[in-house]
Amino acid sequence: SVKAGKMPEGEKMRQCKQEEEQQQKEEKREGLIEFYSSYQELFQFFCSNTTIHGAIRLVCSKKNKMKTAFWSVLFFLTFGLMYWQFGILYREYFSYPVNLNLNLNSDRLTFPAVTLCTLNPYRYSAIRKQLDNLDQITHQTLLDLYDYNMSLPQRDWSTSSTQRRSSRSLLSHVLRHPLRRQKRDNLVNLPGNSPSVDKNDWKIGFVLCNEDNDCFHQAYSSGVDAVREWYSFHYINILAQVPDAKALDESDFENFIYACRFNEATCDKANYTHFHHPLYGNCYTFNDNSSSLWTSSLPGINNGLSLVVRTEQNDFIPLLSTVTGARVMVHDQNEPAFMDDGGFNVRPGIETSISMRKEMTVRLGGSYSDCTEDGSDVPVQNLYSSRYTEQVCIRSCFQLNMVERCGCAYYFYPLPDGAEYCDYTKHRAWGYCYYKLLAEFKADVLGCFRKCRKPCKMTEYQLSAGYSRWPSAVSEDWVFYMLSQQNKYNITSKRNGVAKVNIFFKEWNYKTNGESPAFTVVTLLSQLGNQWSLWFGSSVLSVMELAELVLDFIAITFILAFRWFRSRQKLSPPGPPLNSQDNAAFQDEAPALSAPHRFTVEAVVTTLPSYNSLEPHGPSRDGEVAHE
Amino acid sequence: AAAAPGKKITARLKRTLPVRGPQAPTLSELMRWYCLNTNTHGCRRIVVSRGRLRRLLWILLTLSAVGLILWQCAELLINYYSASVSVTVQFQKLPFPAVTICNINPYKYSAMKEYLSELDKETKKALETFYGFSEGKSKVRRSVDDWNSTGSDFFQQIPLLKVEDFFRTATELHSGQKRKIEGSVFHKDSSIVNSGDSNDIIGFQLCDANNSSECALYTFSSGVNAIQEWYKLHYMNIMAQIPLETKEKLSYSAEDLLLTCFFDGLSCEKRHFTRFHHPLHGNCYTFNSGENGTVLSTSTGGSEYGLQVVLYIDEADYNPFLVTSSGAKIMVHDQNEYPFIEDIGTEIETAAATSIGMHFTQSHKLSKPYSDCTETGADIPVENLYNKSYSLQVCLHSCFQKAMVDSCGCAQYAQPLPAGAEYCNYKKNPNWMYCYYKLHEKFVKEQLGCQQICKDACSFKEWALTTSIAQWPSAVSEDWMLRVLSWDKGQKLNKKLNKTDLANLMVFYKDLNERFISENPANTLVILLSNFGGQLGLWMSCSVVCVIEIVEVFLIDSLSIVLRRQWQRAKKWWRGRQRASAPPAAQGQGQGQHNPACTDEDLPTFTTALRLPLPRDSPLPRTPPPNYSTLRLETAFTEQLPDTLELGQH
Repeated sequence: SVKAGKMPEGEKMRQCKQEEEQQQKEEKREGLIEFYSSYQELFQFFCSNTTIHGAIRLVCSKKNKMKTAFWSVLFFLTFGLMYWQFGILYREYFSYPVNLNLNLNSDRLTFPAVTLCTLNPYRYSAIRKQLDNLDQITHQTLLDLYDYNMSLPQRDWSTSSTQRRSSRSLLSHVLRHPLRRQKRDNLVNLPGNSPSVDKNDWKIGFVLCNEDNDCFHQAYSSGVDAVREWYSFHYINILAQVPDAKALDESDFENFIYACRFNEATCDKANYTHFHHPLYGNCYTFNDNSSSLWTSSLPGINNGLSLVVRTEQNDFIPLLSTVTGARVMVHDQNEPAFMDDGGFNVRPGIETSISMRKEMTVRLGGSYSDCTEDGSDVPVQNLYSSRYTEQVCIRSCFQLNMVERCGCAYYFYPLPDGAEYCDYTKHRAWGYCYYKLLAEFKADVLGCFRKCRKPCKMTEYQLSAGYSRWPSAVSEDWVFYMLSQQNKYNITSKRNGVAKVNIFFKEWNYKTNGESPAFTVVTLLSQLGNQWSLWFGSSVLSVMELAELVLDFIAITFILAFRWFRSRQKLSPPGPPLNSQDNAAFQDEAPALSAPHRFTVEAVVTTLPSYNSLEPHGPSRDGEVAHE
Repeated sequence: AAAAPGKKITARLKRTLPVRGPQAPTLSELMRWYCLNTNTHGCRRIVVSRGRLRRLLWILLTLSAVGLILWQCAELLINYYSASVSVTVQFQKLPFPAVTICNINPYKYSAMKEYLSELDKETKKALETFYGFSEGKSKVRRSVDDWNSTGSDFFQQIPLLKVEDFFRTATELHSGQKRKIEGSVFHKDSSIVNSGDSNDIIGFQLCDANNSSECALYTFSSGVNAIQEWYKLHYMNIMAQIPLETKEKLSYSAEDLLLTCFFDGLSCEKRHFTRFHHPLHGNCYTFNSGENGTVLSTSTGGSEYGLQVVLYIDEADYNPFLVTSSGAKIMVHDQNEYPFIEDIGTEIETAAATSIGMHFTQSHKLSKPYSDCTETGADIPVENLYNKSYSLQVCLHSCFQKAMVDSCGCAQYAQPLPAGAEYCNYKKNPNWMYCYYKLHEKFVKEQLGCQQICKDACSFKEWALTTSIAQWPSAVSEDWMLRVLSWDKGQKLNKKLNKTDLANLMVFYKDLNERFISENPANTLVILLSNFGGQLGLWMSCSVVCVIEIVEVFLIDSLSIVLRRQWQRAKKWWRGRQRASAPPAAQGQGQGQHNPACTDEDLPTFTTALRLPLPRDSPLPRTPPPNYSTLRLETAFTEQLPDTLELGQH
């Protein structure tokens, strides 16, 4: 049987010059692709050479019907079992399971950026001109609603008449949105202050209407909240009108931060950047420039950042800045400081020691989890100049929606291209629009929370704080004296005027929570191979054999059909007999096929009798190797 | 007769030992034999396929399958050492951690007067000269007057300086004389925040005692920091000279610090606290230190069932220059762990009730080869100076202290003493400060190699703390509470307690579940082998046996064929040389031998296989080769195939 599929190449090597000519003939005769002359030959070849275990029995034990039936049952059973297993494996793979990895990294810790804010946007004396009218109205409102006579600072009557005129227009705008009491259940407006109100039944708030007199009631249970919210609403409008709001604030670093040390060395002027927040005031971010970042060599309070901060509030805007102290936030470099999200306040007269523990989370992107590498695939334009974070995205999303729906941009967020900040002299109903949009945003009708995906790489700082009184009673004298000498700090309120903040790493190492795929393509293939070997003992190459069989089958069918067709055509003329017809189409190739082939081999063997017979020889398994 | 036994032996050998070497005479024959008989899929197809393209396709398929197997198995091997993390949350009775409490001020200022009076005088003088600050004019004046009489020259060695003219000249504190700053000056920091006028810049200079041109200038933008640093420097020198027993007496006793104590709903006493002397914080007291073998545990979470203490912080007896904040420092740690309270302690405010909620997490990592961590620290070449279990901090501090003793000859004050060393003070080691600052800078820049030597610990416990603060005592309860506490404090204290002298502390478990994070190997050897088997089976249906087969055929058999070929070549060459020396008549003998292609391919016989020398061209008449071989036309050789040609020509 081996002889039938013999390879001429082997012969060529073995035979001596006697066969030389013959070989070359054979070489010529072996086509690029040779086909079998009949189905039987094809199957015989397949049966004798295939490597699929069950198939041999199924196809090749034709003689015994019982055996065939048995093997076919077995074949289909194992086939079914294998595909059942395959299904399980595929399901596991496509659920994309992940392994959680816990790494403790102990390389040098880069100190995070630290932002400190004064908690007061503008010095009251500087902005009083702009806020004068609003304060007057607030004064009147408070007097009406609560019978409280707020002591306003002496008004600067020297303001010019033009100022007065502009303020009159402002007045009308402010009065469009007055602060009012409302009945809790039915929103009936109660004009003025009626003494008979039961406190529990009434809410305070203000009404925002659009052009079509569709109104939106913004109500608060506490008067303090209502007044603040109402005041800051108007404050935003006034700020939006001021063309050069930047000119109002003066960055006064020396007057805010009295002493700064990092890692037992004095801080550099180049170590901080300044920005202005409309509510939190002048903010100084330390360690934000990426060129020379601070690194902590050791954990502990001595190796961190230590600041002495002025917290005196003699020049605060009374209705806006109700908190005293300073606001601190720890964040990653190249991330904007969202002070209202992650900041916390520092108490005056207290040394606040904040210990940090860094933790990094790295998610596998792609199909493993819903996260984004750099935000480029998130359908929201990044309005901030910083790296992508979820907060940046959500705020950008809100601002873009705001511009789209209300036609103007919210003052606290960055300005998109071609938009301008909202201001009710220009956009009369923006307040209504804003609060409506805010409600939609919070209910995620806008889809911002859906669109903004979490970044795959996140750095978190877990903070915990300890407090102690600073300065202590015995050291108070000299510390205050030194501060007054060096920083021109006038000791009016003493203890409440300064605060100390220490920010340091608690641990030298930081945790990284990573993910790694639990079921990779490699393991999937291994598992598939396991199953395949178990049930069939076959491999990918066996499948290729099967594919070859199918292709050959089709080819032979075509050839036979073609030959039959030609023979039909020839048959109408006399035509050759049917049994010799088999080779008719193959006339050119047929000699290369088995019959003549076999003949030559036999001829070779017979031509060498003298050689073989003379020496004792053990013919090899193939019966072709002759020993000398 | 002599040949007969030899022949017999060879004949027997032939029969009994079927070692015939590989059956195939040539490499290609061997390959063919292998392909026809192997169980590996694909190979057989190469041989049996008909048609060149078909064969080529099968060769390509088989080779790519081999390549894929190798690649995928390499991936499996690379990913073998990966770990997965399991997080378990257990609800159980949790052991209470050790809680170490210190007063921020290390020693009673009143008791320290005799040691520190000179330094304090000096500091006050500095404040007066540089800032014009004086609390009691007369006192300072007097101290200035008797300055020279005290004659403590070591303050003069490292005086405070006012730096002017871009760090060229400096004004000295006492003499007021200007001196030039010479030598290589390196600053801890050169550019200053308040760069307005250079008059503000205060600092001190540390010089190498042996080589006065080597100096380090430390400047501070804030006078507060400058004074404190300078004070601390001298303070450490003074304290290094005082023996430990004296220091313990100078510091607070347990009765001083702890007013009340309450644990798990029961009153606790001073004996539950263990004293522990910290070089920078004086006497600290550790609750539940596990010293007598018992570790307390809590049955319930919540502030009622934790530790509640009222601390007496005698603010009036604080050192005004060493510490500027008042309160206590606490730290929660494991019983076996050393409390690095100066680094990571949490401050407690006076006149307030501080509640600290704890959440316990225990982590365990797999050590080598999964990650580079150490289980016990025994494999780290750094001696553990602390009498506690290994941690990275312990290792780093021990490493630094070791380096300090080696290069400066004395030990740094804040860390424990290695055997045979003593703490630095400038009476004995006048050069130590310069040495220390140099060394510390090296350490920070990771030039000492400590960071490389020290590894993480594999398992660690941590207590995440949440702090909240309330005003305490409240205005209405203040009166009676202070009265009762003063009574408790006893007759020793004749003044009434002030509320800023007291701090209330509560430490408790927020919940009694313990989070246990542990790493497990993601792969085992069984999984790896089964994955290997899968890959081999998937692509080629190969097994370990077939791998052995491949080794046998492709290495051993091929090598033996090649060797045999070489041997025959050598033999032939030898024969050729002999023939050249022999009379040329001998050449005519083997008439049919002149077919090099055929003779060369000596089939393996027993003799060749056993590497026995072939019998010389025996004079025995061999059968002459068939005649028809000589009849062959020469042209047949000229058109030989390259491979046969190659074989034949040699």
